Amino acid sequence: MDPADVRQKLKELMVTELNLEGKAPSDIDDAAPLFGEGRGLGLDSLDALQLAMSVEEKFGVRVPEGDEARSIFASVNALADHIVRAKAAA
Amino acid sequence: MRIWVTGIGVVSPLGRGAGVTMDRLLAGDRAFGELSLFHLPDMRTRLAAEAPGISAAEVAPEGDAEAWSRTDAMSVLAVREALVQAGVAPAAAPIDLIVGGTTAGMYETEDLLAELSRDADAIKPLRAMLTHPLSSTADHVRAAVGPFRRVRSLCSACSSGANALLLAAAWIRAGVSHCVVAGGADGLCRLTYTGFGALSAVDPNPCRPFDKRRAGLNLGEGAAFLVLEPEDTSRARGVTRPIAELVGWGVGAEAHHITNPEREGRTAARVMRAALAKARLSPADIDHVNAHGTATPLNDSMEAAAIRACFGPEVERVLVSSVKGQIGHTLGAAGAIEAAVSVMTIARGEIPPTQGLEEVDPACPLAHATRATKADVRAVMSNSFGFGGTDTSLVFAAPGVFPAPEAPPRRAVVVVSAATIGPLGVLGARENDAYLKPGPAPAPGPIAFQAADHLDVGRARRLDRAGRLSAVAIQRALRDAGLDPLDPSIGADVGAILGAAFGSVDGSTAFMRRIYEKGVKFASPADFPNLVPSSPVGHASIYLGLRGPVFAVADLGVTAECAVVTAADLIAVGEGEVLAAGSVEEASPMIERCLGPICSGEARGVRSEGASAILLEAEEHAKARGIRPLARLPWWTSWRGAGAGVFKDAPAPSQRSAVLTGQEDLPPGLHLPEAWARVPHRAVAPRAGVHEGAGGFALAAALAAIARGELDAALVVGHAPERGYALLLTAERSPDDSGSS
Repeated sequence: MDPADVRQKLKELMVTELNLEGKAPSDIDDAAPLFGEGRGLGLDSLDALQLAMSVEEKFGVRVPEGDEARSIFASVNALADHIVRAKAAA
Repeated sequence: MRIWVTGIGVVSPLGRGAGVTMDRLLAGDRAFGELSLFHLPDMRTRLAAEAPGISAAEVAPEGDAEAWSRTDAMSVLAVREALVQAGVAPAAAPIDLIVGGTTAGMYETEDLLAELSRDADAIKPLRAMLTHPLSSTADHVRAAVGPFRRVRSLCSACSSGANALLLAAAWIRAGVSHCVVAGGADGLCRLTYTGFGALSAVDPNPCRPFDKRRAGLNLGEGAAFLVLEPEDTSRARGVTRPIAELVGWGVGAEAHHITNPEREGRTAARVMRAALAKARLSPADIDHVNAHGTATPLNDSMEAAAIRACFGPEVERVLVSSVKGQIGHTLGAAGAIEAAVSVMTIARGEIPPTQGLEEVDPACPLAHATRATKADVRAVMSNSFGFGGTDTSLVFAAPGVFPAPEAPPRRAVVVVSAATIGPLGVLGARENDAYLKPGPAPAPGPIAFQAADHLDVGRARRLDRAGRLSAVAIQRALRDAGLDPLDPSIGADVGAILGAAFGSVDGSTAFMRRIYEKGVKFASPADFPNLVPSSPVGHASIYLGLRGPVFAVADLGVTAECAVVTAADLIAVGEGEVLAAGSVEEASPMIERCLGPICSGEARGVRSEGASAILLEAEEHAKARGIRPLARLPWWTSWRGAGAGVFKDAPAPSQRSAVLTGQEDLPPGLHLPEAWARVPHRAVAPRAGVHEGAGGFALAAALAAIARGELDAALVVGHAPERGYALLLTAERSPDDSGSS
């Protein structure tokens, strides 16, 4: 899978699944932190659950829970890398 | 005035009956087992605490079981038990009924909803859907047990059962009730089971409240009801001693997050302190806390922090336990079951343990009761916290131990604002008389609504359509009244009671359909919290910063009137200062073609949708902030049955008065006093459209007509099958400014 393509699809998924109204996929910075108040997108734990579920639905890739998830959910780049790696290993 | 608890009834996963439930709690029994009610492919866990042997057929009239639910059955059994113990019966004396819950007949209807969503042509009035609305439980208890006088159904998610008891206490203190049976009931269902699973909130093993390794809750089911009476009424019928007394209560909203509690437990502590203040007790008087203790990582540390903040140094002494390690989280029933357990803890002098707690989490440093403990228990605090951050705390005490509290003086209630969002857009306090003016009927179906025109959609992204409509209506009502709840000095004084007749029926349908089509692991965590009936008002409280009482009510086609009457009841006895009350109804084929006709009757007119928020305030509170009310609310009432004699104490009309209704003409059995029968009668439905919340539009129209000087008084009457409400709005005018707007 092409990482750029995955990043684009991921951002589209985030806008619809997390109801990021008023935001376009292109508004999301690939390197910015996804979670945490006042930083980057400012998503929270409920968004993480929704995003993990929809990533599995869309890409067929499971996002692990717990500490491992923290680094995978760090940014669009990190999450896209996880998806590309998991797809390559499958 | 002391409030006596004279009867308790419980159906729990540990058995039928309050006594057996308490025996087994004290014995340390755990009720978890393999789920038998339903099976869904790919379920990650199958553990649950089922109430064994419960079926709708046990309490339904012969041949009508398809229209009854397991929640009904548990409620009927628990209510009967409580009434028998108290020695009262609704056929012999006026008894009121309050049922808290979240799912009602979801278990019985969720499959059918998913099925109907695949074939819209199959949507028709189906008797099996009668048990879907939240109000069906109370209706069925009334049908099975007897003619309860005043009836309410309310939901504040997992604090529903506790808030039912709080409303009962308010009624008794106001002197409007002399006997109330109040509690909560919730049956297990696929929707809550998969929903909590999607939130990763479920421990696949028996849960461990306050334990370092706790990994979530287990779901249970059950029902509990308490009979509450004022001491004098109870004594007058020969009762010499209650089981316990309900002495204190506190309620408030966190305005924080739809699923996650405030980390530091600020609101929970505020509500616990309010309950103590109401009881005029100090932490030193409390011997036990029956904790909410769900065993989710966030709840237990939040609650521990709140208990520590409330109890100070006494926290080293006060034993804390959670029954959820034995019966699981029974959702809308939990607050009532735990209230019943608290009462029995006092009566028996024995504190139940927290089962599953082995290694106390350092983040939960409390005096945990890990085994049943005999003690002289003078008073117990019972905590309940719900989705959306709706926190309630109750305090029960041993009979006669503490001084009797004074009944509060009855306070005047005024109307300071109202707003609607409907076919004519968003209308404020002085604009809603537009719904009384001639004009075209609305277009059928959904109203035009651009959220971004009214809300910061970034902040409102979690709000579904019902949540947004609710937030817009309440926001406009608050603005017109000069209130900004984000102002920290005012937010805790502002609450909201907003209902929907059928809840989030389309949302529940979509959620279930997704599970069947994609599998349990694709259940949407973000959508699930929006399916609880208190979600729209909960979301609105978070968006707007409302930190007073926040809950939903449901009463078919009079849900808005029910909300406003309930708000007025609370303000009159000091349980709220400013409350936005109304309803939100959405256009939906399932409502239009199935739930509406089967529950409310065929609609005569164009079906539409909308939300209303009527802003009530204690007169003294409005005065203190220098606000001139737009109208007074001197009289209100509600009834079950045909409504014979309900207007006997209604004030007479003034010079320019009108009777206003939402949906249609008054039913033939309802007789207005002659003076009111002579004044003009007008309905808003021709302009607002027909829906279960039309009464809220009638109330808003009444306020605008009075505010603009077109009317001096308006009697707003709402009715639905077997029930109704009436409220009188009168002009708040000094003699020298007669009627100009």
